Amino acid sequence: MLSIDEIIRDIDSLPPFPRNLTTLTELLDEPDVDVDQVVALIQYDPALTALVMRLCNSAYFGATSPVSDLREATTRIGFNQIFQVVASLSTAGLLRPQQKGYGIEAGALWRHSVTAAVIGKCIALEQDDNPSLVFTACLLHDIGKIVLSGKLEALYDKVLAETKLCQSPMLVVEQNLLGFDHAEVGGRLLEHWRFSPQLAEAVRRHHDPGAAGEHARLAAYAYLGNMIACFMGFGCGHQALAFRCRAEALDLTGVSAEDIPRHMTKAFDALGDVQALLDIQF
Amino acid sequence: MVGLAELVVSNNPSAILSTYALGSCVGVAIYDPVVRVGGLVHCMLPDSTIDPAKAQAHPGMFVDSGMAALLRAACQMRADRRRLRIFLAGGARIMDDQNLSNIGGRNLAAFTECLRRENLHLDAQQVGGQVNRTMGLAIDTGRVTLKVSGMLQEVALC
Repeated sequence: MLSIDEIIRDIDSLPPFPRNLTTLTELLDEPDVDVDQVVALIQYDPALTALVMRLCNSAYFGATSPVSDLREATTRIGFNQIFQVVASLSTAGLLRPQQKGYGIEAGALWRHSVTAAVIGKCIALEQDDNPSLVFTACLLHDIGKIVLSGKLEALYDKVLAETKLCQSPMLVVEQNLLGFDHAEVGGRLLEHWRFSPQLAEAVRRHHDPGAAGEHARLAAYAYLGNMIACFMGFGCGHQALAFRCRAEALDLTGVSAEDIPRHMTKAFDALGDVQALLDIQF
Repeated sequence: MVGLAELVVSNNPSAILSTYALGSCVGVAIYDPVVRVGGLVHCMLPDSTIDPAKAQAHPGMFVDSGMAALLRAACQMRADRRRLRIFLAGGARIMDDQNLSNIGGRNLAAFTECLRRENLHLDAQQVGGQVNRTMGLAIDTGRVTLKVSGMLQEVALC
């Protein structure tokens, strides 16, 4: 059996984490992000600059007169919107491929992750939490699957048998077959990419937010984003809903169970906006 | 393609209606084999009273308004309620859910209540569990198919 350290050493064979996202992530902990800080980070990245200009002049923002100045574009769109679009687009390369070990079709993991992120953000805005931080935790919660999928692929028959016969959660199946699970690997992966400890811990504990200590609230958002995305049919792969109910995720975020349907209708609208903004059809 | 919260009714014999990845949502297919009219709806939540404006804009979003709109649209295409064959899929749930957020179960209950109220009968279903299902309805034959995410083969519900 491979050790988790051996798995993490394999990470170098993955595509590198998108640099423009790591750059913008540096601003996530700022309570109020100054436009000049954003411009300072964006202006040295031609691809990111082009993206922000294109967004600003898109039909979604209803630009009547085209904007050609990066500072003006950034002001018009705002940090949170820029961050969320860049994060969604720049993780597509990592999350879009098929993940055979999980029975995930091409595109489905990315769709799931962006949906979870949008749901988390909508709830965070209502609860007065940092929307882009929550968006990131939800967007990256399943990132460990891109590492483990290859390992599970050869064992897929066993995966199917264990989930079907033993009624085990996917996480337990991974632990039984590999010795660790996608949440733990995701946390390690984010540490390797030098994300903040709170994001790494939120991803590591997204199936057990109560165990995330001081980062339990962020982990609970990742849990809820994942759960509600699965309810809405944006789960992905084999036994997409085979994970344990964690009622504490509601207490930790201050969301009531009765509110979940309302959050789903809000997420439905927000997803429509995201599709218009990214110019994609999920 | 029938998207989330959408409904489509057709009498085009070459059409295959399909709705992708139901999760806790329910997919309902109806079919009148005599006039060969069929419809499919993808409902996300049980009860439209939580957001009447949404139900107006997207009747398919809720089981109660979605079923009413589906039946109405099919009957406008000369389907007869007495001949309708009705199929249900979806309503999945997470594990050991202490009824805290069992949207899947509530959607299924709302559907059962709707059938009782309309005095209609279900022909076949595949519901519950932890899986994501994709549902299809072929208008020329009325054949209903299901594909469970992560499994290779499609299965026929009828």
